[in-house]
Amino acid sequence: MALDHDTLKDLYRKMVTVRLLEKRVEQLVMAARIPCSGHFGLGQEAVGVGVCGPLRKEDYLFGTHRGFAEYIGKGMTPAEILTEYYGKATSLSRGRLGQHLLKPEIGVMPLPSSLGSEFGMAVGAALSSKLRGSGRVTVNLFGEGTAGQSDFGPALEMASLWRLPLIFVCNNNQYVELAHYREVVATEDIAPRAGAYGVPYEIVDGNDITLVYQATERAASRARQGGGPTFLEFKTYRRCTHYTGDPGGYQPKEEIAAWAQKDPIDRCRRLMMAQGLWTAADEQAMLEAVSAEIEAAVQFAEESPYPDVSTIYEHIYA
Amino acid sequence: MSRRITFIQAVREAFQEEMRRDGSIIILGEDVRKGVFATTSKLVDEFGPERVINTPIAESAIVGAAIGAAMTGLRPVVQIMFSDFTYMAMEMIANQAGQWHYISDGVLKTPMVIETPGGARGGAGYGHSQSVEATFIHPPGLKVVAASTPYDAKGLLKSAIRDDNPVLFFEHRRLLTQRGETPQEEYTIPLGRADIKRKGTDVTVVAYSASIPKALIAAERLSQQGIEVEVVDPRTLVPLDKETIFASLQKTYHLVVVEEGRRRGGFGAELAAIAVEEWFDYLDAPVQRLGGLDAPLPYSPVLETACLPSADDIVHAVLRSLGQEV
Ligand SMILES: Cc1ncc(C[n+]2csc(CCOP(=O)(O)OP(=O)(O)O)c2C)c(N)n1
Ligand SMILES: [Mg+2]
Repeated sequence: MALDHDTLKDLYRKMVTVRLLEKRVEQLVMAARIPCSGHFGLGQEAVGVGVCGPLRKEDYLFGTHRGFAEYIGKGMTPAEILTEYYGKATSLSRGRLGQHLLKPEIGVMPLPSSLGSEFGMAVGAALSSKLRGSGRVTVNLFGEGTAGQSDFGPALEMASLWRLPLIFVCNNNQYVELAHYREVVATEDIAPRAGAYGVPYEIVDGNDITLVYQATERAASRARQGGGPTFLEFKTYRRCTHYTGDPGGYQPKEEIAAWAQKDPIDRCRRLMMAQGLWTAADEQAMLEAVSAEIEAAVQFAEESPYPDVSTIYEHIYA
Repeated sequence: MSRRITFIQAVREAFQEEMRRDGSIIILGEDVRKGVFATTSKLVDEFGPERVINTPIAESAIVGAAIGAAMTGLRPVVQIMFSDFTYMAMEMIANQAGQWHYISDGVLKTPMVIETPGGARGGAGYGHSQSVEATFIHPPGLKVVAASTPYDAKGLLKSAIRDDNPVLFFEHRRLLTQRGETPQEEYTIPLGRADIKRKGTDVTVVAYSASIPKALIAAERLSQQGIEVEVVDPRTLVPLDKETIFASLQKTYHLVVVEEGRRRGGFGAELAAIAVEEWFDYLDAPVQRLGGLDAPLPYSPVLETACLPSADDIVHAVLRSLGQEV
């Protein structure tokens, strides 16, 4: 089954936004306009964008440090992201968060600095949805390396025991920082671990936006119907380095080239063109519009003031 | 012969020399083979993948594994990539690593080092910037090292590796690329011996790690006003070289203590308590305690800076101590 046309176009535009935004942020980090480092996901945009596709605005997302795809997917704007990265007063957190993007009003929940600290929190959000009968689904996105963290097992156990509306999404991009994942992960697949806790799982091509969307849609509808948690593992590949301070060189060139052939954005564009939904002119117009949106956001962030120092005393306690 | 090497190089040399000397030393940690902060990078080429081990992302289990290995004949070094993440292994460090020697009545030993970079360097945000050393002065059985120069780092790390107790070795990220004179020849620095970083007669400033460069800047400025500050670097928070600090206080009668960790319950709180209990007669003024704001560290550089003591703050604290500040 194909996705409907508007959905596909929307997902495509979001993937392109992620790619252009990451490129721009990289330049700004390298030019020391942005004080933090950047963690990018070149070639894995379909996972974050596709997973957020079937979610509702009020559904909860616990995303990742390499998460522009899921944050744009869930509805954050380049301006919201850039003002946080710049640490400006106009950001949603008034300069407190940096890379730890957050926007609870559209379900974007905390991104902890410590990998794996979100497993328990995601269980809690799902438990709260269930007890309050809010109908909200929680998505917990994490990398294959993070699956080694100590709360991973207990989170699966609780979600399974309590039949929580929780979707575990493992973004398996095959690298854990500077190491190939098989150096620090004992099995090729992560998903079967869920089976040991009685949580059903699927392993899906993470570079096919349609498949990512549909797998998540199935899991979300199970969750909404009281069917409990699902574990999804999306196979993809990080074609860039771990972060802006990493010169790279450890990923085989042939490996990168092979995955470039499976680029999710190219695949989506080809699909839309084959279906007659998309023309070169559409492409041109969209690229211009997205670039303009990003440039406006950069300018806004650049021109925004830094927060007032006196604000450091605000909100230490509720 | 001495050369100017970076803090990172000094730490790597300490690892190298010790691992050559003692085949029971292993390094465990996330990405230690390539090494994000480079203190361990390329050690795998010399010592092999059996002794330089990349682990899963699982701080608690890594430290647990080190404890088990230490109890059974190895001398593990664990690298925790950011010292904020030591909290993920708190159970292992606070309840296990430091306690078994005592409760086994001396039968079990846990000779291990936790090497961990941390501290605020701008741009890393709330959970990659904290200075958490003081947390570890509270649990029993642990030693806590926080060097301020490459020379100290190398000598102290070698002693830490040879020590039969669990030692936390904190490295401030602002210091990692700083250079300093370090001899080519082998040397060690015993744990628990302070170093006077600047001599003075008027006020004793006790500072450690990245607070040392700030204290030295403050001392220089104060010197221009005719106030001579003695800067004492304890180098290890546990064991603490009280004698050296006390000797300084006996000259100056004024005590200021500086840390980047949060002030409440911090190292300064401990030192001020010691001063009041043991050196009361040598205090001409209340102890001045500087530390980080008791709040999470905000990301924006202007905010982060405002949460930490500056050289200016140290100048003011010294003047307050001398009653020269209105
Ligand atoms: C508790 C903790 N340990 C270590 C780190 C440092 N770290 C940041 S990203 C990363 C690798 C994560 O790998 P993976 O889970 O596969 O996600 P990916 O980066 O590939 O998206 C590590 C170890 C951290 N942020 N938190
Ligand atoms: Mg990964």
